[in-house]
Amino acid sequence: MKEVRLAITGSEDDPALTRRLSAYRAYLSEATGLPVKLYEAADNNGKIQSIASGQVDVTLLAGAAYANVDAQVGEAVAPILTVRQADGEVGYYSLFLARSDSSIHKLADLKGKTMGYVDFNSTSGYLYPRSKMREQGIDPDTFFGKVAIAGGHTQAIMALESGQFDATVIQAGGGDPQTGFTTGAHFTMARRGLLDVDDFRTVWAIGPIPNTAVVTRTDRPQAFIDIMRGAMAALPYDEPAIWLGTGQPDGASFISVTRQEYQEVIDLREEELVRRRAGPPPAKGAS
Amino acid sequence: MASAPLALAPAIAQTPKPALRIAAISDKPGPCGPPRASLPPGAQAYYRLLAQRLETQILTCSFPDRAAAAQALAAGQVDLAILNAAAYRPVAAATRSILTVRSRPQLGRVAAVVAVRKGDRRLNLAALKGASVVFGGTNRAYLDHPLRTLADQGASADYFGRQIMADSAEDAAAKLRAGEADAMVLHAGAWRRICIGLKASEWRCDDLAVAWRGRPRAQLAMVVRNDMPLETRYRLIGIHVAMHQEAPTAFDWAAAWTPEPAEFEPTEADALILTSSRGPE
Repeated sequence: MKEVRLAITGSEDDPALTRRLSAYRAYLSEATGLPVKLYEAADNNGKIQSIASGQVDVTLLAGAAYANVDAQVGEAVAPILTVRQADGEVGYYSLFLARSDSSIHKLADLKGKTMGYVDFNSTSGYLYPRSKMREQGIDPDTFFGKVAIAGGHTQAIMALESGQFDATVIQAGGGDPQTGFTTGAHFTMARRGLLDVDDFRTVWAIGPIPNTAVVTRTDRPQAFIDIMRGAMAALPYDEPAIWLGTGQPDGASFISVTRQEYQEVIDLREEELVRRRAGPPPAKGAS
Repeated sequence: MASAPLALAPAIAQTPKPALRIAAISDKPGPCGPPRASLPPGAQAYYRLLAQRLETQILTCSFPDRAAAAQALAAGQVDLAILNAAAYRPVAAATRSILTVRSRPQLGRVAAVVAVRKGDRRLNLAALKGASVVFGGTNRAYLDHPLRTLADQGASADYFGRQIMADSAEDAAAKLRAGEADAMVLHAGAWRRICIGLKASEWRCDDLAVAWRGRPRAQLAMVVRNDMPLETRYRLIGIHVAMHQEAPTAFDWAAAWTPEPAEFEPTEADALILTSSRGPE
């Protein structure tokens, strides 16, 4: 290997992220002895395709995105690390959000409304909430009046704020429904002064969903995989400021993870695809 | 051990590597040599795994106790040893901890934060002896873990005065602010959660000050010399943190120095003797 290629996203709601990642890049470069190049993907799909095709060596993928890669290339890509929070939790949550000035207070109030999902490849913003709605006896294909795809968490919130959507579902972490949350696109946007979180109401919080994984190509040298896993795992202990700069919560750490931890999400995605291939349900009243 | 710093580059990868010499504690001290065939299957699996993944020969070197192993490590006679604080302290300048083992009932070495009201001059644990403290809850994350962390620093349960159990981190902060307690004890994640604001550059704890922040001390840790190449150090960490999943037989033997071992976890350099830890604020 002549260089390490790392695909990232996240600059949409935090443009300073790329700048702050320069210290992370320098840290990984020193660890591997190789230049580290950051490839900025426009969205989840950009990261999925870049790691599946082998254009990059490492990236971070949420469960559904990893499930997509797994379906494409199987063992050629493997999860190696995920985040464990200070309280020992290894998951995050999906929040159904509505505007706080709306009449939407509970999931049932969303019947017939416009629902904005994040992305077909989003775990928290599409796959997981649809599965959990089915568990509640709600068919997400018929329950809403209209469904749209925003393209990203930030876009989903902006569309909710502007009234394009009546509700959206996005990721939140750094806590749980009892303690509250601190991480997620709408918190990041609020800290940048772009919105006020009080303008939104959490209608339903579901989870935990297995945390985002660091995934790597398995056709790279084993030494490279071991060094990357070791250097990343050591980061919160040796360089806590860089760790926080990458957007990770204080008190959290990386732990080793395998495909097995994402089996549920892989199964959910497969189930979703089977339903999609089967086509839309028959219209009401059709025989 | 002086392996090449750019082991990923093909030309250098072909350079023969020196063996990794691992200190072992034995009542039959002896010179370094290949692991004996009479070792238990777990030990053989562990040394085989390291040899394969590090692409080098593994030698074991026996010492009568951890202090002797530490001296040999500092002197460059071995490359890796499992040490306790007493053995590590004399060689701290030349060596560092890289890994410890998380015991299954423990949360890991999450930092605890002790905060006081701003203006309070009791900005260390010694000054807070006898002070009343409020904890953010009674579960293992909010009580057991911080208590264990503080006990490592000599601040056992009876070190403080009155102890209040709040319903949440937010409730604990309210009690501290109201003067119902002199200090508040939280894990680092909860401290940040209650303090980080939802507006640009907002920090909701400007009226509070961190008196102490630190991780629990490691009771035992894998220690290497400071001059071990970064690539080798990170490779060792990367192999060990996944060992419970990739090579459970090797893990069961290699991690047996901690009761109920769950996984290897990385450490900061001074994990065996630390008195405080760096934090973001």
